[in-house]
Amino acid sequence: MSMASTQDKVRQDLDVAGIRQQFPILSQKVHDRPLVFLDSAASAQKPEAVIEAMAHTMRSQYANIHRGLYWMSERTTEAYEAVRDQIARFLNAHSREEIVFTRNSTEAINLVAHSFGALLKPGQAVVISEMEHHANLIPWQMLRDRAGIELRVAPITDAGDIDLDALQGLLADGKVALVAITHMSNVLGTVTPAKTIADMAHAAGAQVLFDGSQSVVHRKTDVQALGADFYTFTGHKLYGPTGIGVLWARKELLEAMPPFMGGGDMISTVTFEKSTWANVPHKFEAGTPAIIETIGLGAAISWVEAIGFEAIGAHEAALTAHALTRLADVPGLKVVGQPKERGGVISFTIDDVHPHDIATLLDRNGIAVRAGHHCAEPLMRRLGLTATARASFGLYTLPEEIDTLADTLVRIRNFFV
Amino acid sequence: MNSLADSGALYDRLIVDRARTPLHAGRLEQADAQGEGKNPLCGDKTRVDVQMADTHISQIRHQTRGCAICLAAADLMAERVAGLTVPQAQDLSRRFSAMLVNEPASTPDVNTDTTALGPLEAFAPLRAHRARIRCAELPWVALKEALSHVDV
Repeated sequence: MSMASTQDKVRQDLDVAGIRQQFPILSQKVHDRPLVFLDSAASAQKPEAVIEAMAHTMRSQYANIHRGLYWMSERTTEAYEAVRDQIARFLNAHSREEIVFTRNSTEAINLVAHSFGALLKPGQAVVISEMEHHANLIPWQMLRDRAGIELRVAPITDAGDIDLDALQGLLADGKVALVAITHMSNVLGTVTPAKTIADMAHAAGAQVLFDGSQSVVHRKTDVQALGADFYTFTGHKLYGPTGIGVLWARKELLEAMPPFMGGGDMISTVTFEKSTWANVPHKFEAGTPAIIETIGLGAAISWVEAIGFEAIGAHEAALTAHALTRLADVPGLKVVGQPKERGGVISFTIDDVHPHDIATLLDRNGIAVRAGHHCAEPLMRRLGLTATARASFGLYTLPEEIDTLADTLVRIRNFFV
Repeated sequence: MNSLADSGALYDRLIVDRARTPLHAGRLEQADAQGEGKNPLCGDKTRVDVQMADTHISQIRHQTRGCAICLAAADLMAERVAGLTVPQAQDLSRRFSAMLVNEPASTPDVNTDTTALGPLEAFAPLRAHRARIRCAELPWVALKEALSHVDV
């Protein structure tokens, strides 16, 4: 496709100009240049609807939840618990009891490593992949070291896909209790074949966890259709606030697992001798939760669903195609990974120019990208790199911004080489 | 290149040239002391070899894998500290670090003051790029370690 036609394609799929007007931050200038924000995979910007929902809660009806016997507490409890219903629908969970609020995806995975991990016996194994974010690696290392379980790592192909044959080999001895794999790589953009992996895991008697932090932003997530047992995501990449994430797990798993943290709200009865736990999901939600952030996440999901995942997916596919076309014209630029299915995340290197120099020079031109190891050091080592620069797209990303990126990269390359 | 010329404030020609073609890279066979600096955040690494003659640094080489800022900082540091005594190099190190945080009160003459920064002033614009200050300080971390092994 020509450059002009890929630009047009992006515009047909989504009213990006209308969307941009809902993000007050995007009209800012950085170093006297219009902000070009290409780091949504790290954290997305927030639409007015999210900002307003949180501010409205604090201005008009804020109180602690689940215990106040007065009007404001009841209203806030309703608003908070309504988000649980909303997320159950968003993920196509079997029931609202399967939705546990956490601080972020990292905490959700730590919860599983702690509480599901408590059910595992020495000699059992957990499988992760070579392209995991540290969030889906360190909790399992910690479990390995304290519980004597084995940690196995499924390799990736040079193109950046999970090596399914090798994964099959890791499952063969029947010792694997859990396969924990990203649903979309934050470095390579790889969308993993979740249903296939879930089927393989189940055939070997293992449960499966998907880290959906990147994936939920880009496509409709149906945990039942995926055959998942655990699914995690974080609010702040989904145009919601920081401090709120979600663990979805099958109810019988949650019921079998011991609590994660102890405190208020997670109990049924308490005496000094013995306490009993609340029913799920409250068993896993100790202490006053992130009430305002949860309500903000609810607003973010409503906002995303109003746009619809069909339009979101089409916009992202068109933008990614446009970006790959434009970046191919930058001399010396190498895109890292050629996965079979890619989301709106592109990591790259340019000759010997260090990614941090690329990022700093882009920033001087108003362009925000991420550079470094992207919290995936073992993946960098696997790729033979120490760092990459990464551009990632959001619903507000314009094809012209990709053009600005590509043009500026050509100048940066000429500056150094 | 109009727009990148703005960023030339940081990526001074001297910095880009030294990053591309360092003049003091390599190892010293007869090194009296060595030091290493590593930045786990970006994987940058620099190793400094120092050779002493009496009380002063007679030769210094660095082996650096890193960004342009780190590479040039190592090369210009090696150039600037050669010939200095250990306390003089330590004073210079302190002055360099201070420059990356605050505007210097005065600019001493490099010909008369051993702690004058001279060409190292090219890194002053890093004040506006706080996330990158560690890149320029990494070679000095390696030098500090090397000098701690020197008996004078």
